[in-house]
Amino acid sequence: MKKNIYFNNCLTSKPAPEVIEAMLPYLKEKFFFPENFIANGSEAQRIIESAKETIAKTINADAEELHFTASGTVANNLAIKGFLSENSDQGNHIICAVNDYPDILTNAAFFEDSGFDVTYLKCDEQGFIDLQELEQAINEATILMMTTLVNHTSGTIQPLAKIREILDRKNQNVKLLVDAGQAYARMPIDVKEFGIDLMSFSAHKIHGPQGIGALYKEKSIKLAQIQHGISRIDDINTGAISIANIIGFAKASELAFSNLDKKIEKIRDLSNYLLQQIEMKIPDTLLNGPRGADRICHNINISFDFIEGEAIMMMMDMHGITISTGSACASQGLKPNYILMAMGRSHEQSHSSMKFTLSRYNTKEEIDFTVEKLIEVVQELRSRSPLYEEIKKEK
Amino acid sequence: MQYSQKVLDHFMKPHNVGKLDNPSVEATEGSPACGDQVSIYLKINDKTKVIEDVKFQSYGCASNIATGSIITDMAMGKKLDEAKKITWKEAAEALDGLPPVKMHCSVLAVDTLRKAIKKYEIDHKLREQDKFDKNMIAEELKKIIYPGAGEDIVTLKMVKYIGFEDGKAIIDIDIPKFDKYRENVADEVREHLSHFDEIKEVEVNL
Repeated sequence: MKKNIYFNNCLTSKPAPEVIEAMLPYLKEKFFFPENFIANGSEAQRIIESAKETIAKTINADAEELHFTASGTVANNLAIKGFLSENSDQGNHIICAVNDYPDILTNAAFFEDSGFDVTYLKCDEQGFIDLQELEQAINEATILMMTTLVNHTSGTIQPLAKIREILDRKNQNVKLLVDAGQAYARMPIDVKEFGIDLMSFSAHKIHGPQGIGALYKEKSIKLAQIQHGISRIDDINTGAISIANIIGFAKASELAFSNLDKKIEKIRDLSNYLLQQIEMKIPDTLLNGPRGADRICHNINISFDFIEGEAIMMMMDMHGITISTGSACASQGLKPNYILMAMGRSHEQSHSSMKFTLSRYNTKEEIDFTVEKLIEVVQELRSRSPLYEEIKKEK
Repeated sequence: MQYSQKVLDHFMKPHNVGKLDNPSVEATEGSPACGDQVSIYLKINDKTKVIEDVKFQSYGCASNIATGSIITDMAMGKKLDEAKKITWKEAAEALDGLPPVKMHCSVLAVDTLRKAIKKYEIDHKLREQDKFDKNMIAEELKKIIYPGAGEDIVTLKMVKYIGFEDGKAIIDIDIPKFDKYRENVADEVREHLSHFDEIKEVEVNL
């Protein structure tokens, strides 16, 4: 039987069975929206509040600071557009980095077109943003710094405490927006300790349902209304939101944060084992992003010289193993991965990059099978490659 | 987006892959920086001008490998005059089609075959080296596929102006600002025109 080994958890992840179980009653009989004075509506109100409390607790926030949205991207849009529209009279300068998540970069470009000044910070070869440049970029007109806490390609964890310290030292009015899509439930995040003002994350990356995200908004932050319409569940994110998804999100958070340290340790051990096996058994590879504690536990991104990533991805897929690539051939715009390019990797290194993102459901046996197949696939593709031929000749 | 079963078959078990020991001619097109490169090796009978053996090597994606495989199948046993008439559309059809975004792989494979044949013909004094003129720029632009449609940018009337003066080529392309292939098309134009020694500078206006 064909295997079904999944290493693309940064894209989306398998819903936990407990999550599905918890959601089912709210898809069947308890489908109500909040409504005053009637039993069904009051219960709906109560369970939403309870779900908010569960999730808010995981980031040391208050329930009232948490807003459910349809996705992480919706949360980012409500936060960025809402904040900049509301506060444009305070300043017109924003900061982000060239390797940020597309939600941040496309919003930055949108506001740049509308007359905002945008500083795009550079990153180093491991994906860390240039803190010196950040310090120099902040001025009196700066109102927002946006950052991707964990880079979705290189796994780099940005030094949030240092970023906050620089912001406070240079201009205390600058608010900090964090995209925590890859970070949430894979590292501890304390919004108060880090001084985070706005933060987005979603359920489907942590074994929750697809179609539900969250926006943390520190109490004092004001956002302009971006999405208009009837307020069913949330004043910021108007309209209907799936109650079942809210329940599923809370359950997924509860599961992920029960013994979080142990879960992180397990995933990190598996990732380290995968990396060690690849580096030991396959020559001419290159790890993209940092090693050790500065890298998120679930991400291994590695380039295989002389061959192209889409071909590797497809051959692995035929063995029942799902991984992703930074190759232009597999990208939407046929461009090499912009993050690897910003980190100074060559086009070839970007085209040959493969990303493995693990979860707590992966096993050592799956990794052994994957490495065994990867050796075969890399050997086969290299035997067809004129570039490998040239290198062999030179050696 | 999915590949046809025939593409997958040729990708997994490509025909004619490898190198010839003493080829009559060999040619390489594409570049690792672009993510796809094909090398073709031909053994040609000098008397009959028949391709008696052909092999290819590929650095590239599944469709790059599959088109290399099919084009070598199609060229095998053909006379040079017949082989150089194989078009990228015929190669794609022989694979039961390619997704529009992958059509450039077929162009690359055909282009490599034609380059090898041309090289052989020049080496054997069967034709003269092409003399550069402005029309060659238009011909080169026909090799650039707009990935959204799987058709070349000249046929799609996306090329609005071609200029050439003092080593500088100026190309105006009509492509919307938010088209996701905008940068890809501009890069392709620059890459293709960089092959001409006569062109020292390329200006692409979108």
